[in-house]
Formats: sequence, C-alpha cells, structure tokens
Amino acid sequence: MHKARPSVTRANGDESRPIQGRRSTPLTRNRRIYATLLAPALAVAVLALAACGVTPQTTLEPTTEAARTARDLLMFVFWAMVVTFVLVEGALLYVLIRFRRRSGDGIPAQTHGNTPLEIGWTIAPAILVVVIVVLTVPAIFSNARAAGPDALKVRAIGHQWWFEFQYPDLGVTTANELHLPVNREVEIQLESNDVLHSFWVPSLRGKLDMVPGRENKFTIKPEVTGTFPGQCAEFCGTAHALMKFHVVVETQAEFNAWLQNERTDRVAPASELASEGEANLTLGGCVACHTIRGTDSAGILGPDLTHMGSRKYIAAGILENTPENMRAWLSDPQGVKPGNTMVIPELTTEQLDSLVAYLQGLK
Amino acid sequence: MATVTATAPDTRTFAGTAWSWITTVDHKRIAVLYLVTSLAFFMLGGLEALLMRLQLATPESDLVSAERFTELFTMHGTTMVFLALMPLSAAFFNLLVPLMIGARDVAFPRLNALSYWIYLFGGIFMNISFVAGGAPNAGWFGYAPLTDTAFEATHAIDFWAFGLQILGVSSILASINFIVTIINMRAPGMTLNRMPMFVWMSMITAFLIIFAFPAITIGLVLLIFDRYIETNFFIPEGGGDPVLWQHLFWVFGHPEVYILILPAMGIVSEILPTYSRKPLFGYAVVAYSGAAIALVGFGVWTHHMFTVGLGPIADTAFAISTMAIAVPTGVKIFNWIATLYGGSISFKSPMLFAVGMVSMFIIGGLSGVMLGSPPIDSQVQDTYFVVAHLHYVLFGGTVFGLFGGIYHWFPKFTGRFMHDGWGKVHWLLMMIGFNLTFLPQHMLGIDGMPRRVHTYAAEMGFDLWNMMSTVGSLMIGLSFLIFIINALRSIRHGEPSGGDPWDGGTLEWTIPSPPPVYNFAEIPIVDGRYPAWDIKRGGGHTGAVATAPEADAEADEPDIHMPNPSYWPIVMAAGMVLAACGLIFHQAFILLGAVLFGISLLGWIEEPSA
Repeated sequence: MHKARPSVTRANGDESRPIQGRRSTPLTRNRRIYATLLAPALAVAVLALAACGVTPQTTLEPTTEAARTARDLLMFVFWAMVVTFVLVEGALLYVLIRFRRRSGDGIPAQTHGNTPLEIGWTIAPAILVVVIVVLTVPAIFSNARAAGPDALKVRAIGHQWWFEFQYPDLGVTTANELHLPVNREVEIQLESNDVLHSFWVPSLRGKLDMVPGRENKFTIKPEVTGTFPGQCAEFCGTAHALMKFHVVVETQAEFNAWLQNERTDRVAPASELASEGEANLTLGGCVACHTIRGTDSAGILGPDLTHMGSRKYIAAGILENTPENMRAWLSDPQGVKPGNTMVIPELTTEQLDSLVAYLQGLK
Repeated sequence: MATVTATAPDTRTFAGTAWSWITTVDHKRIAVLYLVTSLAFFMLGGLEALLMRLQLATPESDLVSAERFTELFTMHGTTMVFLALMPLSAAFFNLLVPLMIGARDVAFPRLNALSYWIYLFGGIFMNISFVAGGAPNAGWFGYAPLTDTAFEATHAIDFWAFGLQILGVSSILASINFIVTIINMRAPGMTLNRMPMFVWMSMITAFLIIFAFPAITIGLVLLIFDRYIETNFFIPEGGGDPVLWQHLFWVFGHPEVYILILPAMGIVSEILPTYSRKPLFGYAVVAYSGAAIALVGFGVWTHHMFTVGLGPIADTAFAISTMAIAVPTGVKIFNWIATLYGGSISFKSPMLFAVGMVSMFIIGGLSGVMLGSPPIDSQVQDTYFVVAHLHYVLFGGTVFGLFGGIYHWFPKFTGRFMHDGWGKVHWLLMMIGFNLTFLPQHMLGIDGMPRRVHTYAAEMGFDLWNMMSTVGSLMIGLSFLIFIINALRSIRHGEPSGGDPWDGGTLEWTIPSPPPVYNFAEIPIVDGRYPAWDIKRGGGHTGAVATAPEADAEADEPDIHMPNPSYWPIVMAAGMVLAACGLIFHQAFILLGAVLFGISLLGWIEEPSA
C-alpha cells in the first residue's frame, strides 16, 4: 500500500518531497497513545460494575423459558457485538494513530479500492448476521407457540392507567396484581379498553402490545415463586409511567387459597369506623366506577375493589398498600397519578378515615 | 455574505438587506437560511431534551409535570427529526450540490426558496402550539388511537398533523429540485461515476424522501379525517385498525432514518479523503451500498413493530431483511477505514467530527443488530435501550457528521475559518458528554426502564445511570454553546481561509470563498472524481486534467445570466400555512390563505424570468 510516489508536488505551497516509505515511529510513543485511550475505557468499565445495584425489573434474571431464551440470545448477540466493536474500533484507532500526519509527509499513495478485500468485508458481516438469524428464528417460533389444553387462561385488559385481570374459567376478576401458580402453563390473552398498552414483566417474558380491537396472546410457564414487577411499555398518555402491576407466582396451594378468597363477596366491615366507610362509598362517589361485591357498589369503569385490602400495592402498582398511602391516594388522586379519571369530592377527615379503614379491611 | 445581483435591493440599509434575504433565490443564501434556522430549532429541541434530563436526573422528581413531559418528548423528537436534522442536511444540499457538480444554481431556484419558507413557517406553526392550548403530546410517531379526539380533544394533535403535512411539502419540493439539479446540471464530464460521494448520497436521500413521504402523507390525511370528520380509519370501535397507522408511519419512518443518516455519510465520505489526502476507497461500493441501504430500507419497517403481535412469520421475514441491512452498512465503515489506511491523516476539527461519526455510528449499528432480533427486541423494545440506540445513530452518526460538515465548509460559506482549538474543545466535550448521556441508557433499558416515562420509583435502581445521563446531557449543551460562540465570532473575526483551505479535491474548492453569486465564472470540465486535486497535482492520480475555471474572475462585471430575486415563494408559503391555521383557529384564515396562495401562483407564473 505504501508504494513510493516519486516527485509528487503540491500546488498550494507546502514543502513537498518524495516519499521514501513511511518512517518508522518509536514504538514507545504509540504505546503511550494506546494507553491514554485505554484508561478512560477502563474507568468506564469499573464504574459500570460499581453501578450494578438492585434492579427488580431487569431483563437479565429470567424465570421462564421464554425470558431465558431472550436473555441467552441477548447475551450471545451482545458479546458478538462487543467482539465486532473491539475489532472494528481497534482497526479504526490503529489506522488513525499509525497514519497520522507527520511533518514532511507528502501525498500518500493513492489507492482506489481492492476488489478481493471489499468482497471479503462484505462476506464477513453477512456470515455474522446469518449466524444471528439462525439462532433467532427458532426463538421466534418457540416464543409464539400455542398453549396446551390444560393451560390456565387469563385475560389481561389494559385501561388508562391500570391493568384488569380476568380468569374466565375460574370466574374471578382482579386488578393490578396477577396471581399465577408456579410450574403451570398460562395463556395470557391481551386486550385493550382504550389506547395501546403493552404487557411487560421482564422476568417472565418480553413485552407484547395490548391493541384495541385485536387479541394478542402468549404462553408462559413460571418456574420461580415470588413477586415480579411489570409495567406498561407502550406510551398510553399522561400517566403512562405510573401504570404498573405485579405478578405473584405462588405454589398451587397458595394460589388455590387466594382463588378461594377472591371468589367470596367482600368481608363485612369489622369495626364501626369501617362500617361508616362502607356507608360513605356513595358519598365518596366510589360506587359509580368500582365493584365491591356484597355492597351497592357495582361500577365497572375502575378496578374491582372486592378484595383490594389483600393487594400489596394500590394505584396500579405504584404505592404500597398501607393506610398512609391509601389516605394520600384518596385525598389527592391527581397529585399521585396525574391525568387519571378518579374523581373524589372533598371529604372530611372523618370520612377519609372511615374509607381508609374500610378499604384496608377488604382482605 | 454572498454578493448580490445587480437587480437586488440596496443592501446598505437594514430594510434593504432584509428584503434581499427574503427575496433571495441564490442557493448559497438559502443554504445559510436553512443552516441558521435549523440550528435554532436544534437548540430548541436540545433545550427540550435538557428539561427532560433534569426531570429524570433523580427518581420521583416533580420538576416537570407529567403533562408537560409528554409534550417535551413529542416535540423533542419531532423537532430534531423534521426541524433540525433534515433541514440541516438541506443546508448542505443547498450549499454543496451546485458547487460540487459545477452548476450556477439549482434547477428551480424559486422552488428552492419556497421549500425553505414552507419549512420555516411550518416549524413556527408547530411550535405556536406551546402557547396556543398545548403542544403535540402523543410521541413523535403519534400512535393511534391515542391521537384520536376521544383521547386528545384539544388541537395539540392537529398542530402536529398539519405541521408534518406542511413540512412534507417542503421536503418533497426540495427533493424534486435536487434530483433534477443533480441529473441535469452536472458540469461536462461529470458522469454519475465521477460525482462526489456527497452528491450521490444527496440524490439517494432525495429519492428516499419522494418515495417515503407519501406514506406518512396518507397516514396524516386519514388521521385528520378521523379527527375532523369522524371517520374511523384508526378507531377500532368503528371498524378501523390502529395498527394500520403503525404500518403507514413506519413505511415512512424507517426510510426516514436513512434520510437522516445518508447525508452525514456523504459528508464523512468527503471529509475522510480530504484530511487523509487519499481518494475514497471503493468509491463504487460506497455509492452502491448507499443505494442498497435505501432500497432495503423500504423492506424493514415492521422491525419497529415486533411487539405488536404480527406473528412469527412476519417477525422472521422482517428480522432477516433488517439483518441484511447490516451488510451494506458494514461495508461503508470498512471502506472508510480503508480510506484512512495508508493516508496522511491530519486531525483538524472537521476530521475529528468525521472520525467521531464513524466510531459512534458503529455502536449504533451494532445495537441495531441486537434490536433486529425479535426475541431480544421483545425485551428492550420501548425501553431506554432503544433511546440509546437511536441516539447513537442520529446523534453519534448524523449530528457528529453534520457538525464535521459545518467545520469543514464554514470557510466556504464565509471565507473564514472557525477557531480550530475551540472546535476541538467542542468535539471533546461533545464526545464525552454524548457517551456519558447515552451509554448508560443501554443499561437502563436492559434493567427494565421503559422510554417516555416522566418519572421512576427510587427502588427501581435506575438512579445512578440516570444521573450520569443528565450530567452528560449538560456537557452536550455546554459544547453546543461553545460551538455557537465560536461560529458567531468566526463569521467576523475568524482567520481568513482563502478558497481552498483544506487542500480539497472537489469542485467547490476551485472557486473563491465565499463563492461569487454565479459560482463558476466558467463552467469547469470534469475528468475525474477529484478534479481539484487533479488541477493542483498536475495530472494527479486520474491522469487527467480538468479545465481550470477562473478562480478569481472579475466579479464586478459577470456577463452571466442569474435568476432574479422573487417574493412570491414567501407569499405562497405564508398562504399554505395560513390555510392550515384556518383549520385550527378560525375558518377565515383558510380563505385568506387560499387567496394568498392563488395570487402568489399567478404572480409566480407571470413573473418575468429575466
């Protein structure tokens, strides 16, 4: 590539002289340059490791086969890309340093192309992407496989800005907290009541959109018990960031117990204050939108509250279900979740207290 | 800046100067208008980004309200794509295409002015929404049915829809203009095979715009019907399908990505050879790979929709076509590196930006391959991983490339250098700030942070990455400030550059800076890909000599026929935008707009051409 070009001259005045091959550079100088470039890269890597804290919604801790397939593919392609990155950026850096202009340089050899080389670097990325495609395609189909006949069926319905979960074969409806038995196949059917939403629990599976007018479904088989956070992943309006939910994967026995409880009507108020709370449901406007089986409250616009006291979170997975949070939520729904449609009239402290006591008691 | 024709108004007064800019049809002055306007919108879009970053710096912050945040990310995306980066590329098309092909102007100079004025008014129109009842707030790809009146009853979406229609007209007119210019007005001897690579990429971009914009135009027409006359194209209750919008949008939207990146690739393909003093390696392959990217780019759109649930067959087909695009893209990068290989590389600021573009674009390309695999995409789609990826392509790629172009051709615009030292400071700060902003966002996505969230809970573990990202974005802001000060200062006080400060190889470096109104006193005859090098090196590598144009011809008395200035383009653009205002504010504007449009059309036709 460095054919000497005798007597090339530049017209615009630079001192020109014949090139007699490239002068050798002291190796130490290049080393120093490489070292300076490497230092910040290492610093970033160290920082990255230090920053690995607890991230409950990570995609890297799969608990189903579907999530594991995605994670494994992600890690494989990631490392393939890291190797490519190091090779290509390395080549770029090498060339930049090796061929930096030195005083006295003339016009370098004018190369225009090299067909075998260019064919070579067309084929190289082609081989890499073919490998990735070959690994990808079976994963696509395994993620899309249909459920067996014994699968538990769940309808997940997106609303602005909460999730409704129905178990059509079990006659149960709940909200924002999906209970699933461990090691049993589940078919989740996704629908939307208004705009686009997306059902995403990273530890269970990649996301799938909830599209009004369409029915998407996927099948998973949770393998680990625990509570896993999920979140709407398709922008759905003002409170999109606050549309969360949790999936509780539990043993079959725990699941059955939960189911048993869900099927019953609401627990009768256990205290006088709570009884007042039930009486205040109408005053608070709750009855218009919420269902509490066993009471007059039979609205269908908002989440079913029959057993809301037993849920771990309120306001679509954003607040822990404590009396303080419940009170905060009831006294200022717009402050907690901007844009939401819950309307509550101005309530006295006593009325608020009674509602909080009542709702907390709906185990 | 540029000299004016004899028929132009008196530029010694302010009014005269302003009038001369308003009526200009000179491609170089229109380039300056595009440059200044797009940088202003770039600053606006950047401020919107900074506000978002400040809000996200800490968990559960309430610096910016949820409602305002949705406006910010919608307008940030829309502004950067349509009002900053596309028009910034258009500034380069305007300045460079005629100069590089040895022409005296574009094919349709008044149409060129019209494109600019439509763009300016369209951009202002869309941003008026901030003070007229609420800015667009459904995201830059405005997914139905969130854009329906049932969910957004104010005019926020109408501003967006009409604004994009208006900007689309501007882009299509400009594209027709540049295609005709490039095909018909090349200097004698400049075959397609000798065109500078930037001109190649400009032409491919123009074709992309012409074929891609009709899809969004149709989508927006249907959306406006849904909103104004209660049709149901995207409304499921009425039998429509929101997914139809996604197809229409991304049939446009994916080629749009190439519309944004190809001009920067063209710029880099000019800068790398200049500063390494070697011709572009594998010229034909670089041109063909650009065309291949553009062509295949029309067949990959549903990779934006892998989580919609189109089924495994569709996902597989589009995963394969998406992966296929990695090949021509990789080829371009290898050819750039090979261009540098064996060169004599000088690291002036334009070169730093060009190399920055190549190295950052590589990262965007690699994360793109990850996203091209649907199972991976199902996890990181709609998360900050995608935000990181798209910014490595559009900021790391496009913005770095375009800034390189500004530093490189600033002397051609103005006759003066930008300060190289401050240019390097700008580059270094932007390089560090950019990576600090967007590298951590990959981790945020993998850790499960969705995009378009105005807040996140403390216990999610997103704090540190977000804080780093915000600090980085402030560094980018600072670097841009340095750039602006440097540019403003350099216009008057920069070191004089002369006509050919970088030892350039293409035709624009054979004429003085700033170029005379007529560009070339004598139309050059071209005999190779780097005619300026041929002249300077006396035969040079192509073994052929172009006929030297008179670089310092007597500018005072050119017997050259140039188009007259015209005020009809600005009147026509005003008419169009007024009509759009009519659909939002008061119907009377429609009539007013139509009358203005009609008058300007007649005036345009009747205008003496000489």
